[in-house]
Amino acid sequence: MDVKRLIYYFKIWVFMSKNSFLMVLNQKNVLLIFLVGKVLRFLFFIAFLFFLVKGAENLAGYNSTQAIFFFLTFMVVDTTSQFFFREVYRFRTFVITGDFDLILAKPMNALFRVLLGGADVIDLITLPPLYAATIYVGNLLTPTPYQIFVYLLLLLTGFLITAAFHIIVISLGIINLEVDHTIMIYRDITAMGRFPIDIYRQPVRGILTYFIPVAIMMTYPAKAFFGLVNFQGILLAIGIAGVFMFISLRFWNFALKKYTSASS
Amino acid sequence: MNKYLQVFKISFQQEFAYRLNFIMWRVRNVLQIFVVFFLWDTVFSFREGELFGYDRDRILTYVFGLIFIKAFVLSARAQDVAGEIARGDIINYLLKPVSYFKYWLTRDISSKALNLIFAVFEFGILYLILKPPFYFQTNPFQILLSVVAICIAIYTFYLILFIVNVIPFWAPEMGWGGHFLVTVILVEFLSGSLFPLDILPANLQNILSFTPFPYLIFFPLQVYLGKITGLLLLKGIVVSLVWIVILWFFMKWVWNKGFKAYQAYGR
Repeated sequence: MDVKRLIYYFKIWVFMSKNSFLMVLNQKNVLLIFLVGKVLRFLFFIAFLFFLVKGAENLAGYNSTQAIFFFLTFMVVDTTSQFFFREVYRFRTFVITGDFDLILAKPMNALFRVLLGGADVIDLITLPPLYAATIYVGNLLTPTPYQIFVYLLLLLTGFLITAAFHIIVISLGIINLEVDHTIMIYRDITAMGRFPIDIYRQPVRGILTYFIPVAIMMTYPAKAFFGLVNFQGILLAIGIAGVFMFISLRFWNFALKKYTSASS
Repeated sequence: MNKYLQVFKISFQQEFAYRLNFIMWRVRNVLQIFVVFFLWDTVFSFREGELFGYDRDRILTYVFGLIFIKAFVLSARAQDVAGEIARGDIINYLLKPVSYFKYWLTRDISSKALNLIFAVFEFGILYLILKPPFYFQTNPFQILLSVVAICIAIYTFYLILFIVNVIPFWAPEMGWGGHFLVTVILVEFLSGSLFPLDILPANLQNILSFTPFPYLIFFPLQVYLGKITGLLLLKGIVVSLVWIVILWFFMKWVWNKGFKAYQAYGR
């Protein structure tokens, strides 16, 4: 893909995001309720973790600051991906109404449109304080520049796997018209990454590392930040992210061939 | 009475019309229990004795108890009422010789019955997979009172849902927003469905005990576990009953206000 094409898609993304923001900003009361809800959920969970680890003295060997950093890293990956991929939650309507035909007929990549077509302004508002909190708590753990670099690199692999999962969910949506519960199950599974992966027993831990790599997405970055991931671990994360992205794109192509446009 | 029995039967059958939806909802419940189970299992595997007033048996019984209590209390159909108001569909019911309140209470009970059946299966499967130690309550009085607490919790949650549902009378687009804030955020955290409220500082617990939320999940489980007895138990039952009275009158008042403001857009 050349630079000109990238700029073309970036401009489309900005345009679609503006439209999406305007739709939400027109309903200020709804925006306020969801914003308050998300902030409350965040604060409740931080308080829960704090009191839990304070009472228990540690969580799977991690102190309260580290446990909170695991949660913040989960939030960074989760909220950032929700900001970009919110349109996935609306994908079912496109398929069952037949509006997906209109997307396929447009001179742009259909996957790009259904994946990134509706950035969420509520998540955008929550992201800066979330990043600030992560930097603040991270700073308390005194990482080396190398650990920060690996942390950022593994966050990137986490975002790639998240994108792959969202592609798989919309592909399944084309095949069986079910998106709402699939995406919520995905979110419930990734919610297992709110805590360090070390709390889970085998074989759950293995499944969460290799099969549904929540550990790679959420726990590995934080562990790398503490200097607990070796070079093989970094390679494993990059490899798994690549494999998942490859599988998801192949599955998307497969699902597109199954699309019958029955509702249009 | 017969017409509500028919509503129960039809509603029960309707749940099977969207089987995949229902199964997915149950899968989500199991996943949530998984996380809470492993969290507490890990916390107790690193220590001996009690923590926050729980030993290993009691805390894992609390986690497994969540499967049943959530199926009893939090599974409900009445959250669809907001959509009916927003779309104007509620008008259809007002013309029929049924009490709208009893109609949805019946549908809720039908949903709970089905969820409970699945909860029994899930309990069995999770028990076989995780093999947790259990605390069995042997005092029949405590068991009876925990059943009473569950019944109060079911009705309290129903009233909360019906109050939250009135928002679309004034703002049709805000139905889901109200549910998100109250049933997804406040009930999830303040009822004890994610963690036992004992881990919070005493003054916070004290404040929470005067809200209706702990009486939905936390209180019935505490009664079963025998952690609340005597005067404290009596106080809990009285406070939860007072909340039912308050919520009932508030619900009646706010629904009357809502109907006066309602313009049935789209009808």
